[in-house]
Amino acid sequence: MTTESSNNGSLPGLLEGVRVIDLTHYISGPYCTKLMATLGAEVIKIERPGSGDPIRRFGPFAEALTPAPIPQDEGSTVAGAWFLYLNTSKKSLTLDLHSDAGKDILRSLVSSAQIVVENFAPETMDKLGLGYSDLEKLNPSLVMTSISNYGQTGPYRDWKATELNLYAAGGLMYITGEPDSEPLKEGAPLAQLGAGQTAFVATMGALMHAEDTGHGQHIDLSIADYATNILENAMMQYSYSGEEYTRVGNRGYGRAAWGIYPCQDGYVGIISGPDTRWPEIAGIMEREELSDPRFASRNGRLMNADEVDALMLPWLLDHDKVDIFKAGQEAGLGFGFVATMEDILEMEQLTARNYFVELDHGAAGTFKYPGAPIRTTSSTSSQSPPSQGGEESASPLTKGGAHGGRPQGSAQDHWVYRRAPHLGEHKEEILGVALGHPAAEIARLRDQGVI
Amino acid sequence: MTNNNNTNSADSNQPLKNYRVLDLSRIWAGPYCTKLMADMGAEIIKMESLSVYDSNRGPINPARGIAAYPDGEPGDEPWNRNGWFNCLHLSKYGITLELTSETGRNVFDQLVSISDVVIENFRQGSLERLGYSYETLRRLRPDLIYVSMPAFGNSGPWQKYLAYGIGQEQLSGMAHMTGYRGEGPMKSGINHGDPITGSHAAGVLLAALRYRKRTGKGMYIDVSQQESAVSLIGADVLAYQLTGEEPQRRGNRSPYFAPHNSYRCAGEDRWVAIAVTNDEEWRQLAQLVGGSELSADPRFATLAGRLENEDQLDDLISGWTVDKKAYDLCHLLQREGVPASPVMGGPDLLADPHYAARGTFVRVNHEQVGEKTYPGIPWKMSATPGKARWASPTLGQHNRQIYGELLAMPTDDITALEEQGIIGTIPTGSRII
Repeated sequence: MTTESSNNGSLPGLLEGVRVIDLTHYISGPYCTKLMATLGAEVIKIERPGSGDPIRRFGPFAEALTPAPIPQDEGSTVAGAWFLYLNTSKKSLTLDLHSDAGKDILRSLVSSAQIVVENFAPETMDKLGLGYSDLEKLNPSLVMTSISNYGQTGPYRDWKATELNLYAAGGLMYITGEPDSEPLKEGAPLAQLGAGQTAFVATMGALMHAEDTGHGQHIDLSIADYATNILENAMMQYSYSGEEYTRVGNRGYGRAAWGIYPCQDGYVGIISGPDTRWPEIAGIMEREELSDPRFASRNGRLMNADEVDALMLPWLLDHDKVDIFKAGQEAGLGFGFVATMEDILEMEQLTARNYFVELDHGAAGTFKYPGAPIRTTSSTSSQSPPSQGGEESASPLTKGGAHGGRPQGSAQDHWVYRRAPHLGEHKEEILGVALGHPAAEIARLRDQGVI
Repeated sequence: MTNNNNTNSADSNQPLKNYRVLDLSRIWAGPYCTKLMADMGAEIIKMESLSVYDSNRGPINPARGIAAYPDGEPGDEPWNRNGWFNCLHLSKYGITLELTSETGRNVFDQLVSISDVVIENFRQGSLERLGYSYETLRRLRPDLIYVSMPAFGNSGPWQKYLAYGIGQEQLSGMAHMTGYRGEGPMKSGINHGDPITGSHAAGVLLAALRYRKRTGKGMYIDVSQQESAVSLIGADVLAYQLTGEEPQRRGNRSPYFAPHNSYRCAGEDRWVAIAVTNDEEWRQLAQLVGGSELSADPRFATLAGRLENEDQLDDLISGWTVDKKAYDLCHLLQREGVPASPVMGGPDLLADPHYAARGTFVRVNHEQVGEKTYPGIPWKMSATPGKARWASPTLGQHNRQIYGELLAMPTDDITALEEQGIIGTIPTGSRII
């Protein structure tokens, strides 16, 4: 299947009927609204006329383009990998928020919406006259979510930051990397992406509250705060005992034979727990010495970590990552392997579950996009459970008997995938259909540079 | 607390106050999902087994000196004093129940019948072996939302395999992209797979609860922790298809910005993270590091030049930062408009004025631990701010409350359950990974 859009199931998106005004750009906000859009909400992405979301210009692109092109025109299809992925299923409208006419259009859109998400620097929306205190007057049940580096309050509110700074300030960087080398950030921007996820959770809760009570609210989500929220052990160890959690490289904290090791064709993850499973490892790796009682407990392995590693390495270097992974898994051990992008695209588990969605962007080409992060299959009826025994019913869940009581829904039920929009692609639809502007008015707005 | 009344009368304004979650999940991914729901007022009933309690509580008989316990002291009931467990279960109820007897299973059936959500992250198929599938649970509660979150989902050739957050960092490609230049992949200091899945699941679960309210339909939510992790980094999966090139391990460097690294500062293991995102920020930084000569040096005037000479730039900047305090540098650089932040460890975080001003961390009193600091609610909501309502439950702490008040079970019956070992507060064993 190769289409501009994909909804394998015939079921509507979970958030169908929800309209989101999306004033986000770069990574954190767009991931938040991507989750809403692919769950079926109508997400109207407002982009700056002439250039759009700056991440449109972040490569790689379908063709090697240096320097990165700046979208100049309405309808521009300029979109690097980041934009393509983070903006699936959204609509694009260009709007000059500094013009009075642009603000009027935004206010009309906000009046018709349930949710606004923005990730400008704090106070930007207030200075435009479009802050929460302004917008709630237009729409008292509005949920407005603001994502920012350090939050809307506090002494670092106006500090500038990239992912590097936020990973550092949030406490995640200090504990990543080798003890004798510099603290390390993740390759992927996980602080920003995780903050976007978490903003989605908060926004869903506030939407439910608004629908129950008629009262909207403003959500302030700080990327740095989010990072501190997932420190778990590192945070609690210091809080409880005053002992600092430090960098341990690829060895698990307070563990040995627990982490990433080289193998014949790449890297594997060895997980030597629980203790009851340790004897299996000596068998898998064909090294009787690993059964030494000195290594039988977590603490024993830690005390003799270098020796354990030296005993494991010859076998690891002689075997392929997937074989090692499966040998561990078949013995009940949670082994992993360091998957490359090529591995992921070919992974038998993901393929068997029809995880990828293929979308044709036109300009950028047709690619496999990671699909629904979470699978949802709704029951057909709230009143009566599916019929019992061998009897067939109309429910899609009736294969339960054959599948251990698990419904076999489509991978993308309730998720709606469409390619990322071209710049300003949906202006006629949004201004004309949603807001009822006549064509002549739309032409006039374009001539004035408002859209 | 009665069957139909909400338990959270003190927080009657919370978004999820009318929702009850029967939470069988352990360790991190599942508990983080229900923590986010507890942060919005949901009634979370965490159910554990006395023989296999949540392994984040630690071993039944740990050595002294492990830093996860208050001052390294496990105490008489170490399972109630472990910080790793206690930071993930604030504002949740804790009960125990053994499903090995018919009596215990009858009690479980009652709990399911009054719950909106059942969530579990057992190894795939574990609950089914006990006779509980989505179909059987739906007979108890037709509009139930059932969340099953094994490592690789509930179908496919790897469905019986298991993985922890550390494994998901590897299998999702995150570890492949992380590491020092020219070296092998590196794990994160935490295990990102867990909170990523917990958060994805929480958001979709709320959307499902809202959908149920509108349609009356329950939902089966099949979570593959691996799919959840790959979905987060999908841009890199696309980038590979666009170029045919695998992502490179760049240490702290970026293809888009330079200089971009952590630099050593005065003191032991003290560092500052500096990220220059445009030419103007570079000129400001260069002025501080090397005066107008460096600021005007044409080799570094453009991103392309700075990327080409990045080793040299990192040496110059390190030479400047190495005898200065990280916090002082950040204030100085931010005044000049250069993105900079301290690389914060535990002591920095708990003393930091910004986090203090925002109330990022909270102090909560726990009956067996005393008052300690915990991560708070990861968002600020203007109308329903929420709060940490109580400390993480000790094992079986709310048995009497949940069984007595919620299920209206007579005291004699509860006592009988205790005597039969079906419920209790003292574990009979532990299984720790």
